[in-house]
Amino acid sequence: MPVQFLAKAVDSTRWSKLDSRAGRTALLIVAAGSVVLGFIYHVMAMRAGAPPTFFVSVLYNVMVIVGYASIGLLLAFRFQRRTTSPARVFWTILFFGLIFIAIASYITSIGREVDEVLLDLYEAEGEFDYYTGVPRVFVTVIKINLLSLLGSIFAFYVLIRIGSLVLFKRTKLSQRNWQIMMALFGLSAATAFMKSPQSDPDIYQLVALIPAIGFMMVNSFRASWIVYMTFQEKMISIGLSMLLLLFLLIGLGITSIANPLPFLSDLRVYVLYYNYVLYLFVMLVLGFGVMYTTASLLLLLFHLPTTGDFQRRTHERVVMQSLTNLVSQAFDPEKLYTTVASSPVEAGTADTGWLAIADPKSGSLQPDIVASANITPNRVTRLMDIAALYGELSASRTSLYLEQASTDHRLNVRPGDGFSSLLAVPLVAREEMLGALFVTKEVAHGFEKDDIESIHMFAAQAALALDNARLFKEQIEKERLARELDIAREVQRKLLPQCLPRFKGLSVYASNVSAQQVGGDYYDFLQLDEHRLCVVIGDVSGKGASAAFYMAVMQGIFQSVSRLAPRPIDFLRHANAALAHSLDKNVFISLIYGILDIQREEFVFARAGHNPLATINLHGEAKYIRPDGIGLGLDRGGLFERSLQEVTVPLQPGDAFVLYTDGLVESRNLLGEEYGYDRMLEAMRRHRDEEAAGLHDALITDLQQFVGPKPYDDDMTLMVFKWHGIDVPTGGHASSQQRTATPPVSLLGAKP
Amino acid sequence: MSNFSVGFRSNTTIEVLDLNGELDAHTASELEAAIQKCKNEATYRIVVNGANLQYISSAGLGVFMAYIEELRAKGGDIKIAALQPKVYNVFDLLGFPMLFDIVDTEAEAIARFNRT
Repeated sequence: MPVQFLAKAVDSTRWSKLDSRAGRTALLIVAAGSVVLGFIYHVMAMRAGAPPTFFVSVLYNVMVIVGYASIGLLLAFRFQRRTTSPARVFWTILFFGLIFIAIASYITSIGREVDEVLLDLYEAEGEFDYYTGVPRVFVTVIKINLLSLLGSIFAFYVLIRIGSLVLFKRTKLSQRNWQIMMALFGLSAATAFMKSPQSDPDIYQLVALIPAIGFMMVNSFRASWIVYMTFQEKMISIGLSMLLLLFLLIGLGITSIANPLPFLSDLRVYVLYYNYVLYLFVMLVLGFGVMYTTASLLLLLFHLPTTGDFQRRTHERVVMQSLTNLVSQAFDPEKLYTTVASSPVEAGTADTGWLAIADPKSGSLQPDIVASANITPNRVTRLMDIAALYGELSASRTSLYLEQASTDHRLNVRPGDGFSSLLAVPLVAREEMLGALFVTKEVAHGFEKDDIESIHMFAAQAALALDNARLFKEQIEKERLARELDIAREVQRKLLPQCLPRFKGLSVYASNVSAQQVGGDYYDFLQLDEHRLCVVIGDVSGKGASAAFYMAVMQGIFQSVSRLAPRPIDFLRHANAALAHSLDKNVFISLIYGILDIQREEFVFARAGHNPLATINLHGEAKYIRPDGIGLGLDRGGLFERSLQEVTVPLQPGDAFVLYTDGLVESRNLLGEEYGYDRMLEAMRRHRDEEAAGLHDALITDLQQFVGPKPYDDDMTLMVFKWHGIDVPTGGHASSQQRTATPPVSLLGAKP
Repeated sequence: MSNFSVGFRSNTTIEVLDLNGELDAHTASELEAAIQKCKNEATYRIVVNGANLQYISSAGLGVFMAYIEELRAKGGDIKIAALQPKVYNVFDLLGFPMLFDIVDTEAEAIARFNRT
């Protein structure tokens, strides 16, 4: 389609390459050149008294088109970056128009007598030859050139300025429509190519005009700048556009009927005889100017009453979108809740609002109203079943709009209660529903599509803010826990024995290895007298700071009660009673407590639910000894005591026994296999000749080799006691040997 | 992360909880919630079926201890059935068989309820 092609040609971005110093200079030269040559052309015609040859005329017409197009481009470059205000456009056009009229009227009056100017409408026609249309005198030539130049400049100015209003909101469509209109102007004007100014318009010219006028109308109603104006601005623009309209109609003599200033209508004539094509273009532009100004005036008048609404909408949007508030309140949940609930009310979008949150961590799934604006939570719960509505939102994850609250069976609302429309929006972030925002309006059907959208947008941001607040809280909690664990680890370390006991004939080695988390392993020694050593090993259920706390309690009990009631069953009975007050219902402690008597060469012990004691002798006989007994804290009555069995293990030189916690036997390798009780006995058999320390390290190494390069899941304690006999020198030097086998994780036990 | 789930089955006035997977400190809360649910429904007679229970830690054992007193006070109990050998050993070491009815089959556990 030729129009599309022309429209593309008119697209100013294509020509923007010319908007450079060189380009502008070139355009200026072309424009100046064509003006000068046009002048010469008309002088020649006047001299000859007849229109020039066909060829020269064609050349002339082309030159005029090119030259004036250059002028148009230059002006477009000059004015395209101006910021537009509609009022400014109107008054600048008016201003330059008045100047133009002043100059033009002066020029028109040159060579005429005063009374002729005022009386004869068609006086201008007389300056041109009746048959040829050629100017008769030199003065006329000057006039037509000057007036055409000035008139065209003014017309281009009008076109460019009004164009900026039409394209106030640039969309592909609006831009295309504008370009097509300009192309049609060009096309219509081009129908006058090589035509005589005196001829009547033919059918082609009229037909070409129709689409042009059509697009002029389309573009006349593009006034998107209206919505942004305040009432005052609109009034000013109404005034200016009225003046401008008046000026355009009267001042430019567009209507020659009842024209009080007849000489002004002559302007047209001069331009017409200068160049028919240019004349048509200029007239179309000015005609469009009139159309646009008229349309603007009417639209302004019609938009006056709705100014308030638009202003309100903009204000609403601004308040709802002030998200910096929300984001910065992530650190203060209470404040955040209040902001979320009250923002819609403050913005004027709703009459009341409240925020409900169901926190599963607080134990219940019932939503609480954490903040409300313009209404109290009590009133809300009286008026509706919040839990039911919340549940609905939670299931559907979409918002709920009740347009007539009083007729909805889910609510208890009666007319006069203060609201008739209810909008409930779930606040969802990372696929979890964090809460629900409820807003109401006093009237039924009170929320329009715009309001609903606005509230949805706000809800999305509120959800993000709530999520942030939640994440922040979790982060603080994590850090608190980490600090708690650090303290627990410290406590645990301090509670364990700092050194190993020294007894003649006995070698002892013990160690404790911590897992990732702080565990509840405990072991301790107490020397009763020169020949008796109290030994205890235990495992508190659970992990973390509370396990460490119970460990501390256990240590206190051991250190005090073992002195007073050293016998195993006595000790355990007292310990169970003492712990009854401290232990939570779900906490228990497994323990082995015993007395090693080097004089009687025996180890007497009792087992309260702990892993069985392992023994090995030099012959390689290894076994577990597992007397009855339930864990501490599992029974506060007589059952605990009744279940205990005391066992006496006689010790021969070379015998060894091992106390440990389940972290050792339950350690798993990568295949998920447990180290197990059998492997431990086997390892003990293989290393039965070793000293306590050597046996200890050998067991650890054997375990490590089995488990492989894995961190430990659980705390692990290992105590090895080797009896050498009174007469045999103990491993005094051996125990101070450097240990070669070291566990991969830090040793929390003591080195001798 | 350990895998653990609790299945619910009703047997007249007795609720049977099927434990699947590993019961440790991370998953203990699920068992707690399950028992809590039974309590809310005023079902105080519970049979725990450990056929699919692969592992239990002290935290898991603690859950039983936490609820047993009040369930028994309301005339109910927790009976444990069908434990795998390794898991049974953990209960046994601590002496749980003296505190709870730990039996080989679910039927036996239910029978014991009906006897009382």
